[in-house]
Amino acid sequence: MDDIEATIIQNKHIVSNYYTLKLRLSGSMGRVLPGQFVMLKIPGNEVFLRRPFSVYAYSNNTLTLMYRVVGKGTEILSKCPKNERTLVLGPLGNAFRIRKTDKYIVVAGGIGIAGVHTLIKRLGKKASIFYGCTNKEELSLINDMLHLNPMVSTLDGSCGFEGNVIALLGSYIESTKGEDRQIFVCGPAGMARNLRKLIEKDRTPCQVLVEERMACGLGLCFGCVIKTIDEKEPYKRACKEGPVFDLWEILL
Amino acid sequence: MGNLTVEFFEKTLRNPVMNASGTLGYGKEIEPLWGIETLGTYVTKGLSAKPHHGNPTPRVWEERNGMINSIGLQNIGVERFFDEYFPYFKKRKTPVIVNFFGFTEEEYLACAAKVKPDPFIVALEINLSCPNIKKGGISFGKEPGAVFEIVKHVKSVTKLPLIAKLTPEVRNIAEIAQAAHEGGADGLTLINTMPAAVVDVKSRNIPIKGGLSGPILKPIALRAVYECSKAVPIPIIGAGGIMNTEDAISFFMAGARAIQIGTATFVDPYAIPKIIRGIDEYLDAHGCSGIGDIVGIARDQ
Repeated sequence: MDDIEATIIQNKHIVSNYYTLKLRLSGSMGRVLPGQFVMLKIPGNEVFLRRPFSVYAYSNNTLTLMYRVVGKGTEILSKCPKNERTLVLGPLGNAFRIRKTDKYIVVAGGIGIAGVHTLIKRLGKKASIFYGCTNKEELSLINDMLHLNPMVSTLDGSCGFEGNVIALLGSYIESTKGEDRQIFVCGPAGMARNLRKLIEKDRTPCQVLVEERMACGLGLCFGCVIKTIDEKEPYKRACKEGPVFDLWEILL
Repeated sequence: MGNLTVEFFEKTLRNPVMNASGTLGYGKEIEPLWGIETLGTYVTKGLSAKPHHGNPTPRVWEERNGMINSIGLQNIGVERFFDEYFPYFKKRKTPVIVNFFGFTEEEYLACAAKVKPDPFIVALEINLSCPNIKKGGISFGKEPGAVFEIVKHVKSVTKLPLIAKLTPEVRNIAEIAQAAHEGGADGLTLINTMPAAVVDVKSRNIPIKGGLSGPILKPIALRAVYECSKAVPIPIIGAGGIMNTEDAISFFMAGARAIQIGTATFVDPYAIPKIIRGIDEYLDAHGCSGIGDIVGIARDQ
Protein backbone atom coordinates (compact mmCIF):
# COMPACT_ATOMS: atom_id res chain seq x y z
CA MET A 1 0.00 0.00 0.00
CA ASP A 2 1.16 3.51 -0.73
CA ASP A 3 0.01 7.06 -0.17
CA ILE A 4 -1.37 8.08 -3.55
CA GLU A 5 -1.35 11.59 -4.93
CA ALA A 6 -4.74 12.65 -6.17
CA THR A 7 -6.32 15.55 -8.03
CA ILE A 8 -9.90 16.65 -7.55
CA ILE A 9 -11.66 16.44 -10.88
CA GLN A 10 -15.14 17.13 -9.57
CA ASN A 11 -16.64 18.24 -6.25
CA LYS A 12 -20.34 18.35 -6.83
CA HIS A 13 -23.13 19.46 -4.56
CA ILE A 14 -26.04 17.01 -4.80
CA VAL A 15 -28.68 18.05 -2.32
CA SER A 16 -28.87 19.71 1.12
CA ASN A 17 -25.43 19.00 2.62
CA TYR A 18 -24.50 16.03 0.44
CA TYR A 19 -21.66 16.07 -2.09
CA THR A 20 -19.77 13.75 -4.38
CA LEU A 21 -16.03 14.09 -4.84
CA LYS A 22 -14.27 12.62 -7.83
CA LEU A 23 -10.51 12.18 -7.66
CA ARG A 24 -8.00 11.20 -10.32
CA LEU A 25 -5.30 9.12 -8.64
CA SER A 26 -1.70 9.15 -9.84
CA GLY A 27 -1.52 5.37 -9.39
CA SER A 28 -3.68 2.36 -8.75
CA MET A 29 -5.18 1.53 -5.36
CA GLY A 30 -5.35 -2.10 -6.41
CA ARG A 31 -8.47 -4.10 -5.75
CA VAL A 32 -11.13 -2.37 -3.68
CA LEU A 33 -13.75 -4.50 -1.96
CA PRO A 34 -17.27 -3.40 -0.96
CA GLY A 35 -17.20 -1.78 2.47
CA GLN A 36 -13.58 -0.63 2.37
CA PHE A 37 -12.60 2.99 2.98
CA VAL A 38 -9.83 5.49 2.34
CA MET A 39 -8.14 8.11 4.52
CA LEU A 40 -8.24 11.41 2.63
CA LYS A 41 -6.07 14.42 3.34
CA ILE A 42 -8.27 17.49 3.49
CA PRO A 43 -6.53 20.04 1.23
CA GLY A 44 -5.10 23.14 2.89
CA ASN A 45 -3.47 23.59 6.26
CA GLU A 46 -6.41 23.97 8.57
CA VAL A 47 -7.14 20.28 9.11
CA PHE A 48 -4.23 18.01 9.81
CA LEU A 49 -5.71 14.63 10.59
CA ARG A 50 -7.04 12.73 7.62
CA ARG A 51 -10.68 11.84 7.31
CA PRO A 52 -12.12 8.40 6.57
CA PHE A 53 -14.55 7.99 3.67
CA SER A 54 -16.19 4.87 2.28
CA VAL A 55 -15.26 4.16 -1.30
CA TYR A 56 -18.38 5.08 -3.25
CA ALA A 57 -16.95 3.97 -6.57
CA TYR A 58 -13.54 3.14 -7.96
CA SER A 59 -12.29 2.24 -11.40
CA ASN A 60 -9.38 3.13 -13.68
CA ASN A 61 -7.62 5.13 -10.98
CA THR A 62 -10.69 7.29 -10.51
CA LEU A 63 -12.06 7.35 -7.00
CA THR A 64 -15.49 8.68 -6.10
CA LEU A 65 -16.55 9.52 -2.57
CA MET A 66 -19.96 10.65 -1.40
CA TYR A 67 -19.99 12.73 1.75
CA ARG A 68 -22.17 14.80 3.99
CA VAL A 69 -20.92 17.99 5.58
CA VAL A 70 -20.88 17.23 9.29
CA GLY A 71 -17.89 19.13 10.70
CA LYS A 72 -14.90 21.27 9.94
CA GLY A 73 -13.14 18.71 7.72
CA THR A 74 -16.07 18.04 5.42
CA GLU A 75 -16.96 21.74 5.45
CA ILE A 76 -13.52 22.64 4.08
CA LEU A 77 -13.65 19.71 1.67
CA SER A 78 -16.98 20.92 0.29
CA LYS A 79 -15.30 24.18 -0.76
CA CYS A 80 -12.32 22.57 -2.47
CA PRO A 81 -12.13 23.50 -6.13
CA LYS A 82 -11.32 21.34 -9.11
CA ASN A 83 -7.62 20.64 -9.70
CA GLU A 84 -6.82 20.86 -5.99
CA ARG A 85 -4.20 18.23 -5.05
CA THR A 86 -4.45 15.87 -2.13
CA LEU A 87 -3.43 12.43 -0.82
CA VAL A 88 -5.35 9.19 -0.52
CA LEU A 89 -4.40 6.17 1.56
CA GLY A 90 -6.27 2.97 0.91
CA PRO A 91 -8.11 0.77 0.45
CA LEU A 92 -8.38 0.11 4.17
CA GLY A 93 -10.41 -2.09 6.48
CA ASN A 94 -12.32 -5.32 6.15
CA ALA A 95 -15.00 -5.68 3.49
CA PHE A 96 -18.50 -7.14 3.54
CA ARG A 97 -18.37 -10.92 3.32
CA ILE A 98 -20.95 -12.08 0.84
CA ARG A 99 -22.09 -15.65 1.29
CA LYS A 100 -24.21 -17.76 -1.03
CA THR A 101 -27.83 -17.24 -0.14
CA ASP A 102 -31.30 -16.86 -1.67
CA LYS A 103 -31.86 -13.25 -0.70
CA TYR A 104 -29.60 -10.29 -0.16
CA ILE A 105 -31.06 -7.31 1.61
CA VAL A 106 -29.18 -4.01 1.69
CA VAL A 107 -30.37 -1.36 4.12
CA ALA A 108 -29.00 2.17 4.13
CA GLY A 109 -29.92 5.37 5.90
CA GLY A 110 -28.84 8.85 4.79
CA ILE A 111 -25.14 9.06 3.95
CA GLY A 112 -24.95 5.35 4.82
CA ILE A 113 -25.67 4.78 1.16
CA ALA A 114 -22.02 5.66 0.43
CA GLY A 115 -20.88 2.67 2.48
CA VAL A 116 -23.00 0.14 0.61
CA HIS A 117 -22.87 1.65 -2.87
CA THR A 118 -20.15 -0.63 -4.21
CA LEU A 119 -21.87 -3.61 -2.57
CA ILE A 120 -25.13 -2.77 -4.34
CA LYS A 121 -23.24 -2.46 -7.64
CA ARG A 122 -21.73 -5.89 -6.99
CA LEU A 123 -24.99 -7.60 -6.03
CA GLY A 124 -27.09 -5.84 -8.69
CA LYS A 125 -30.55 -7.29 -9.13
CA LYS A 126 -29.84 -10.02 -6.59
CA ALA A 127 -30.29 -7.48 -3.81
CA SER A 128 -33.40 -5.92 -2.34
CA ILE A 129 -32.52 -2.36 -1.46
CA PHE A 130 -34.09 -0.37 1.34
CA TYR A 131 -33.20 3.29 1.61
CA GLY A 132 -34.30 5.70 4.27
CA CYS A 133 -33.79 9.45 4.26
CA THR A 134 -35.30 12.68 5.49
CA ASN A 135 -37.25 13.88 2.47
CA LYS A 136 -37.96 13.42 -1.23
CA GLU A 137 -35.05 15.63 -2.30
CA GLU A 138 -32.53 13.31 -0.69
CA LEU A 139 -33.70 10.49 -2.92
CA SER A 140 -31.52 12.01 -5.62
CA LEU A 141 -28.66 10.27 -3.75
CA ILE A 142 -29.87 6.97 -5.19
CA ASN A 143 -30.66 8.16 -8.72
CA ASP A 144 -28.20 5.69 -10.20
CA MET A 145 -29.95 2.69 -8.65
CA LEU A 146 -33.56 3.37 -9.55
CA HIS A 147 -33.49 0.48 -12.04
CA LEU A 148 -32.95 -1.84 -9.07
CA ASN A 149 -36.35 -0.78 -7.68
CA PRO A 150 -35.23 0.33 -4.24
CA MET A 151 -37.85 0.58 -1.52
CA VAL A 152 -37.70 3.98 0.06
CA SER A 153 -38.90 5.71 3.14
CA THR A 154 -38.85 9.39 4.03
CA LEU A 155 -39.21 10.74 7.53
CA ASP A 156 -41.51 13.53 6.35
CA GLY A 157 -43.56 11.21 4.15
CA SER A 158 -42.85 13.26 1.02
CA CYS A 159 -42.07 10.10 -0.93
CA GLY A 160 -42.48 6.37 -0.39
CA PHE A 161 -43.18 5.00 3.06
CA GLU A 162 -43.58 7.59 5.78
CA GLY A 163 -41.31 6.85 8.73
CA ASN A 164 -38.01 5.11 9.26
CA VAL A 165 -36.61 2.53 6.93
CA ILE A 166 -36.63 -0.27 9.50
CA ALA A 167 -40.39 0.07 9.85
CA LEU A 168 -40.60 -0.29 6.07
CA LEU A 169 -38.29 -3.28 6.15
CA GLY A 170 -40.45 -4.97 8.79
CA SER A 171 -43.17 -6.15 6.42
CA TYR A 172 -40.59 -7.44 3.94
CA ILE A 173 -38.81 -9.41 6.65
CA GLU A 174 -42.18 -10.87 7.63
CA SER A 175 -43.07 -11.82 4.03
CA THR A 176 -39.76 -13.58 3.42
CA LYS A 177 -39.80 -15.47 6.71
CA GLY A 178 -38.15 -18.88 6.51
CA GLU A 179 -36.02 -17.93 3.50
CA ASP A 180 -32.25 -17.95 3.70
CA ARG A 181 -31.29 -14.27 3.84
CA GLN A 182 -28.28 -12.07 4.40
CA ILE A 183 -28.63 -8.45 5.42
CA PHE A 184 -26.10 -5.63 4.97
CA VAL A 185 -26.59 -2.33 6.68
CA CYS A 186 -25.02 1.11 6.90
CA GLY A 187 -26.51 4.14 8.57
CA PRO A 188 -27.08 5.85 11.90
CA ALA A 189 -26.55 3.77 15.05
CA GLY A 190 -30.24 4.07 15.93
CA MET A 191 -31.14 2.43 12.63
CA ALA A 192 -28.89 -0.56 13.32
CA ARG A 193 -30.38 -0.83 16.82
CA ASN A 194 -33.91 -0.92 15.39
CA LEU A 195 -32.86 -3.47 12.82
CA ARG A 196 -31.42 -5.66 15.52
CA LYS A 197 -34.75 -5.61 17.40
CA LEU A 198 -36.57 -6.49 14.20
CA ILE A 199 -34.51 -9.58 13.41
CA GLU A 200 -33.53 -10.53 16.94
CA LYS A 201 -35.80 -13.60 17.04
CA ASP A 202 -34.47 -15.16 13.84
CA ARG A 203 -30.93 -13.83 14.25
CA THR A 204 -30.74 -13.36 10.51
CA PRO A 205 -27.11 -13.11 9.33
CA CYS A 206 -26.37 -9.41 9.18
CA GLN A 207 -23.29 -7.29 8.71
CA VAL A 208 -23.08 -3.66 9.64
CA LEU A 209 -20.64 -1.02 8.44
CA VAL A 210 -19.90 1.30 11.35
CA GLU A 211 -18.63 4.86 11.41
CA GLU A 212 -16.38 6.22 14.14
CA ARG A 213 -14.06 9.17 14.57
CA MET A 214 -10.65 8.03 13.33
CA ALA A 215 -7.16 9.42 13.64
CA CYS A 216 -4.95 6.97 11.72
CA GLY A 217 -7.18 4.52 9.82
CA LEU A 218 -4.48 1.86 10.14
CA GLY A 219 -5.05 0.35 13.58
CA LEU A 220 -2.21 2.31 15.16
CA CYS A 221 -3.99 4.51 17.67
CA PHE A 222 -7.02 2.55 18.95
CA GLY A 223 -9.07 5.73 18.64
CA CYS A 224 -11.99 4.42 16.58
CA VAL A 225 -13.16 1.46 18.61
CA ILE A 226 -16.59 -0.08 18.82
CA LYS A 227 -17.80 -2.14 21.75
CA THR A 228 -18.36 -5.83 21.09
CA ILE A 229 -19.62 -8.87 22.99
CA ASP A 230 -16.06 -10.18 23.33
CA GLU A 231 -15.52 -10.10 27.07
CA LYS A 232 -11.75 -10.50 26.83
CA GLU A 233 -11.30 -7.66 24.36
CA PRO A 234 -14.54 -5.67 24.15
CA TYR A 235 -13.23 -2.73 22.12
CA LYS A 236 -12.42 -3.54 18.48
CA ARG A 237 -10.97 -1.04 16.05
CA ALA A 238 -13.39 0.19 13.37
CA CYS A 239 -10.44 0.76 11.01
CA LYS A 240 -8.72 -2.58 11.51
CA GLU A 241 -11.13 -5.29 12.71
CA GLY A 242 -13.96 -3.34 10.95
CA PRO A 243 -15.45 -1.20 9.58
CA VAL A 244 -17.72 -4.13 8.72
CA PHE A 245 -18.82 -6.11 11.78
CA ASP A 246 -21.25 -8.90 12.39
CA LEU A 247 -24.36 -7.25 13.86
CA TRP A 248 -24.56 -9.97 16.49
CA GLU A 249 -21.06 -9.36 17.72
CA ILE A 250 -21.26 -5.64 18.41
CA LEU A 251 -23.00 -3.66 21.13
CA LEU A 252 -24.88 -0.71 19.74
CA MET B 1 24.69 8.00 3.81
CA GLY B 2 25.96 9.25 7.10
CA ASN B 3 26.11 7.44 10.36
CA LEU B 4 22.82 7.40 12.24
CA THR B 5 23.68 4.76 14.81
CA VAL B 6 23.48 5.66 18.48
CA GLU B 7 24.58 3.91 21.63
CA PHE B 8 21.76 3.53 24.09
CA PHE B 9 22.27 1.63 27.33
CA GLU B 10 25.13 -0.38 25.79
CA LYS B 11 23.07 -1.28 22.77
CA THR B 12 23.70 0.01 19.29
CA LEU B 13 20.54 1.33 17.68
CA ARG B 14 20.28 1.85 13.90
CA ASN B 15 19.11 5.39 14.41
CA PRO B 16 17.83 7.65 17.19
CA VAL B 17 14.21 7.61 16.01
CA MET B 18 11.38 5.76 17.74
CA ASN B 19 7.63 5.87 17.72
CA ALA B 20 5.94 7.35 20.77
CA SER B 21 4.17 4.74 22.86
CA GLY B 22 0.65 4.02 21.66
CA THR B 23 1.03 5.58 18.23
CA LEU B 24 2.15 2.54 16.27
CA GLY B 25 -0.25 -0.10 17.58
CA TYR B 26 1.51 -3.35 18.44
CA GLY B 27 3.98 -2.73 15.62
CA LYS B 28 2.67 -5.08 12.97
CA GLU B 29 -0.07 -2.71 11.86
CA ILE B 30 2.37 -0.47 9.97
CA GLU B 31 3.84 -3.36 7.96
CA PRO B 32 1.65 -2.83 4.86
CA LEU B 33 3.36 0.58 4.55
CA TRP B 34 6.93 0.17 5.79
CA GLY B 35 9.09 -2.30 7.69
CA ILE B 36 9.33 -2.08 11.45
CA GLU B 37 13.13 -2.43 11.16
CA THR B 38 13.11 1.17 9.90
CA LEU B 39 12.92 2.27 13.54
CA GLY B 40 15.88 2.67 15.82
CA THR B 41 13.72 0.90 18.36
CA TYR B 42 10.02 0.20 18.65
CA VAL B 43 8.28 1.52 21.76
CA THR B 44 5.39 -0.69 22.82
CA LYS B 45 1.89 0.46 23.38
CA GLY B 46 1.53 1.04 27.13
CA LEU B 47 1.35 -2.39 28.75
CA SER B 48 -0.07 -3.33 32.11
CA ALA B 49 0.23 -6.44 34.27
CA LYS B 50 -3.32 -7.41 33.29
CA PRO B 51 -5.16 -6.57 30.05
CA HIS B 52 -7.04 -3.29 30.14
CA HIS B 53 -10.08 -2.33 28.08
CA GLY B 54 -9.67 1.44 27.86
CA ASN B 55 -12.31 4.15 27.48
CA PRO B 56 -15.57 4.39 25.56
CA THR B 57 -15.76 6.59 22.45
CA PRO B 58 -15.18 9.29 21.43
CA ARG B 59 -11.51 8.59 21.95
CA VAL B 60 -9.99 11.06 19.51
CA TRP B 61 -10.73 14.65 18.60
CA GLU B 62 -8.93 17.12 16.36
CA GLU B 63 -8.11 20.59 17.57
CA ARG B 64 -6.26 23.42 15.87
CA ASN B 65 -2.65 22.17 15.62
CA GLY B 66 -3.27 19.30 17.95
CA MET B 67 -5.35 16.30 18.75
CA ILE B 68 -6.85 15.04 21.97
CA ASN B 69 -6.96 11.37 22.76
CA SER B 70 -8.70 9.47 25.47
CA ILE B 71 -7.84 5.89 24.53
CA GLY B 72 -7.53 4.98 28.19
CA LEU B 73 -4.47 2.74 27.78
CA GLN B 74 -6.31 -0.17 26.14
CA ASN B 75 -3.87 -3.07 25.89
CA ILE B 76 -3.67 -6.85 25.81
CA GLY B 77 -1.43 -7.08 28.87
CA VAL B 78 2.29 -7.59 29.12
CA GLU B 79 2.17 -11.41 28.93
CA ARG B 80 0.20 -11.57 25.72
CA PHE B 81 2.47 -8.95 24.19
CA PHE B 82 5.49 -11.15 24.84
CA ASP B 83 3.72 -14.31 23.62
CA GLU B 84 2.17 -12.87 20.49
CA TYR B 85 4.24 -9.92 19.33
CA PHE B 86 7.75 -9.94 20.79
CA PRO B 87 8.99 -12.90 18.67
CA TYR B 88 8.15 -10.88 15.59
CA PHE B 89 10.46 -8.02 16.67
CA LYS B 90 13.25 -10.47 17.35
CA LYS B 91 12.78 -12.02 13.94
CA ARG B 92 12.94 -8.56 12.36
CA LYS B 93 16.00 -7.72 14.49
CA THR B 94 14.25 -4.67 15.86
CA PRO B 95 14.85 -3.83 19.50
CA VAL B 96 12.00 -2.88 21.77
CA ILE B 97 11.43 -0.41 24.58
CA VAL B 98 8.66 -1.70 26.81
CA ASN B 99 6.35 1.12 27.91
CA PHE B 100 4.31 0.15 30.96
CA PHE B 101 1.93 1.50 33.57
CA GLY B 102 -0.25 0.51 36.51
CA PHE B 103 -3.15 1.89 38.46
CA THR B 104 -1.40 1.11 41.72
CA GLU B 105 2.26 0.86 42.66
CA GLU B 106 1.82 -2.92 43.01
CA GLU B 107 0.61 -3.10 39.42
CA TYR B 108 3.61 -1.13 38.20
CA LEU B 109 5.97 -3.49 39.99
CA ALA B 110 4.13 -6.61 38.84
CA CYS B 111 4.30 -5.48 35.23
CA ALA B 112 7.97 -4.50 35.36
CA ALA B 113 8.88 -7.80 37.01
CA LYS B 114 7.23 -9.74 34.20
CA VAL B 115 9.60 -8.31 31.57
CA LYS B 116 12.66 -10.55 31.44
CA PRO B 117 15.90 -9.13 30.09
CA ASP B 118 16.57 -10.05 26.48
CA PRO B 119 19.14 -8.82 23.93
CA PHE B 120 16.25 -7.24 22.02
CA ILE B 121 14.91 -5.24 24.95
CA VAL B 122 16.61 -1.86 25.21
CA ALA B 123 14.82 -0.63 28.31
CA LEU B 124 11.60 -0.27 30.21
CA GLU B 125 9.80 3.05 29.84
CA ILE B 126 7.66 3.87 32.84
CA ASN B 127 4.61 6.00 32.17
CA LEU B 128 4.45 8.32 35.14
CA SER B 129 1.50 10.38 33.99
CA CYS B 130 -1.19 7.84 34.54
CA PRO B 131 -4.30 8.00 36.59
CA ASN B 132 -4.23 8.09 40.33
CA ILE B 133 -2.27 5.81 42.53
CA LYS B 134 -4.14 3.98 45.26
CA LYS B 135 -2.73 5.88 48.20
CA GLY B 136 -3.35 9.57 48.46
CA GLY B 137 -5.24 10.00 45.22
CA ILE B 138 -2.68 12.26 43.58
CA SER B 139 -1.21 11.67 40.15
CA PHE B 140 2.21 10.68 41.41
CA GLY B 141 4.12 11.79 38.33
CA LYS B 142 3.68 15.35 39.51
CA GLU B 143 5.41 14.98 42.88
CA PRO B 144 9.21 14.66 43.06
CA GLY B 145 8.97 12.46 46.16
CA ALA B 146 6.52 10.06 44.55
CA VAL B 147 8.55 9.91 41.34
CA PHE B 148 11.69 9.10 43.32
CA GLU B 149 9.91 6.31 45.22
CA ILE B 150 8.27 4.60 42.26
CA VAL B 151 11.43 4.72 40.15
CA LYS B 152 13.45 3.31 43.03
CA HIS B 153 10.96 0.51 43.64
CA VAL B 154 10.73 -0.43 39.96
CA LYS B 155 14.53 -0.48 39.75
CA SER B 156 14.57 -3.03 42.56
CA VAL B 157 12.47 -5.52 40.56
CA THR B 158 14.22 -5.27 37.17
CA LYS B 159 17.70 -5.54 35.74
CA LEU B 160 16.68 -3.64 32.64
CA PRO B 161 17.54 0.03 32.16
CA LEU B 162 14.63 2.25 33.17
CA ILE B 163 13.43 5.31 31.27
CA ALA B 164 11.02 7.60 33.09
CA LYS B 165 8.44 9.24 30.83
CA LEU B 166 7.41 12.50 32.46
CA THR B 167 4.27 14.56 32.32
CA PRO B 168 4.56 18.23 31.37
CA GLU B 169 1.78 19.05 33.82
CA VAL B 170 4.15 20.15 36.58
CA ARG B 171 5.49 23.37 38.01
CA ASN B 172 9.14 22.47 37.57
CA ILE B 173 9.94 19.55 35.28
CA ALA B 174 13.69 19.72 35.94
CA GLU B 175 12.96 19.01 39.58
CA ILE B 176 10.95 15.91 38.61
CA ALA B 177 13.76 14.86 36.26
CA GLN B 178 16.21 15.17 39.13
CA ALA B 179 13.99 13.05 41.37
CA ALA B 180 13.73 10.35 38.68
CA HIS B 181 17.49 10.40 38.24
CA GLU B 182 18.10 10.12 41.96
CA GLY B 183 15.60 7.27 42.13
CA GLY B 184 17.77 5.42 39.63
CA ALA B 185 16.25 6.25 36.23
CA ASP B 186 18.72 5.56 33.42
CA GLY B 187 17.02 7.89 30.95
CA LEU B 188 14.05 10.21 30.47
CA THR B 189 11.35 10.59 27.84
CA LEU B 190 10.10 14.16 27.63
CA ILE B 191 7.20 14.74 27.40
CA ASN B 192 3.82 13.03 27.52
CA THR B 193 0.54 14.64 26.39
CA MET B 194 -1.01 17.62 28.21
CA PRO B 195 -4.41 17.26 29.88
CA ALA B 196 -7.01 19.03 27.74
CA ALA B 197 -10.70 19.21 26.93
CA VAL B 198 -13.01 20.19 24.10
CA VAL B 199 -16.38 21.92 24.20
CA ASP B 200 -18.80 21.11 21.42
CA VAL B 201 -20.73 24.33 21.03
CA LYS B 202 -23.39 22.72 18.85
CA SER B 203 -24.32 20.05 21.37
CA ARG B 204 -23.29 22.19 24.37
CA ASN B 205 -21.30 19.44 26.02
CA ILE B 206 -17.72 18.34 26.61
CA PRO B 207 -17.37 15.33 24.31
CA ILE B 208 -13.80 14.50 25.26
CA LYS B 209 -11.27 15.12 27.99
CA GLY B 210 -7.88 13.61 27.34
CA GLY B 211 -4.26 14.17 26.39
CA LEU B 212 -3.30 16.86 23.91
CA SER B 213 -0.62 15.98 21.38
CA GLY B 214 0.62 17.28 18.05
CA PRO B 215 2.47 20.37 16.81
CA ILE B 216 1.05 22.59 19.54
CA LEU B 217 3.15 20.69 22.10
CA LYS B 218 6.51 21.20 20.42
CA PRO B 219 7.68 24.36 22.20
CA ILE B 220 6.63 22.94 25.58
CA ALA B 221 8.54 19.73 24.91
CA LEU B 222 11.61 21.59 23.67
CA ARG B 223 11.75 23.64 26.85
CA ALA B 224 11.48 20.46 28.95
CA VAL B 225 14.30 18.81 26.97
CA TYR B 226 16.44 21.93 27.28
CA GLU B 227 15.95 22.30 31.03
CA CYS B 228 16.15 18.64 32.00
CA SER B 229 19.18 17.89 29.86
CA LYS B 230 20.98 20.62 31.75
CA ALA B 231 19.76 19.27 35.08
CA VAL B 232 20.57 15.56 34.75
CA PRO B 233 23.40 13.60 33.05
CA ILE B 234 21.20 10.72 31.78
CA PRO B 235 20.11 10.45 28.13
CA ILE B 236 16.91 12.22 27.14
CA ILE B 237 14.44 11.12 24.50
CA GLY B 238 12.52 14.09 23.13
CA ALA B 239 8.86 13.77 22.21
CA GLY B 240 6.07 16.20 21.53
CA GLY B 241 4.87 17.62 18.24
CA ILE B 242 7.73 16.44 16.02
CA MET B 243 6.21 16.60 12.54
CA ASN B 244 9.22 16.88 10.24
CA THR B 245 13.02 16.78 10.01
CA GLU B 246 13.51 20.33 11.20
CA ASP B 247 11.45 19.66 14.32
CA ALA B 248 13.53 16.53 14.94
CA ILE B 249 16.84 18.37 14.56
CA SER B 250 15.64 21.06 16.97
CA PHE B 251 15.12 18.42 19.67
CA PHE B 252 18.66 17.09 19.23
CA MET B 253 20.02 20.62 19.40
CA ALA B 254 18.05 21.25 22.58
CA GLY B 255 19.74 18.24 24.20
CA ALA B 256 17.80 15.09 23.22
CA ARG B 257 19.86 12.03 22.27
CA ALA B 258 16.89 10.34 20.63
CA ILE B 259 13.38 11.31 19.60
CA GLN B 260 9.92 9.80 19.46
CA ILE B 261 7.35 10.50 16.76
CA GLY B 262 3.68 10.22 17.65
CA THR B 263 0.84 12.23 16.17
CA ALA B 264 2.81 12.92 12.97
CA THR B 265 2.27 9.29 11.96
CA PHE B 266 -1.50 9.86 11.92
CA VAL B 267 -1.09 12.90 9.69
CA ASP B 268 1.38 11.17 7.38
CA PRO B 269 1.89 7.44 7.96
CA TYR B 270 5.32 7.78 6.32
CA ALA B 271 6.45 10.53 8.72
CA ILE B 272 8.90 8.26 10.58
CA PRO B 273 10.86 6.97 7.55
CA LYS B 274 10.83 10.48 6.05
CA ILE B 275 12.24 12.03 9.23
CA ILE B 276 14.94 9.34 9.54
CA ARG B 277 15.99 10.04 5.95
CA GLY B 278 15.84 13.77 6.64
CA ILE B 279 18.12 13.53 9.67
CA ASP B 280 20.59 11.48 7.65
CA GLU B 281 20.62 14.09 4.89
CA TYR B 282 21.00 16.90 7.39
CA LEU B 283 24.03 15.25 9.03
CA ASP B 284 25.57 14.61 5.61
CA ALA B 285 24.97 18.15 4.42
CA HIS B 286 26.55 19.60 7.55
CA GLY B 287 29.54 17.31 7.64
CA CYS B 288 28.55 15.67 10.91
CA SER B 289 29.99 12.29 11.82
CA GLY B 290 26.89 11.38 13.81
CA ILE B 291 24.01 12.72 15.80
CA GLY B 292 26.37 13.34 18.73
CA ASP B 293 27.77 16.31 16.80
CA ILE B 294 24.55 18.26 17.22
CA VAL B 295 23.15 17.02 20.56
CA GLY B 296 22.82 20.03 22.84
CA ILE B 297 24.58 22.54 20.56
CA ALA B 298 21.73 25.06 20.77
CA ARG B 299 21.43 24.57 24.53
CA ASP B 300 25.12 25.11 25.11
CA GLN B 301 25.39 28.29 23.05
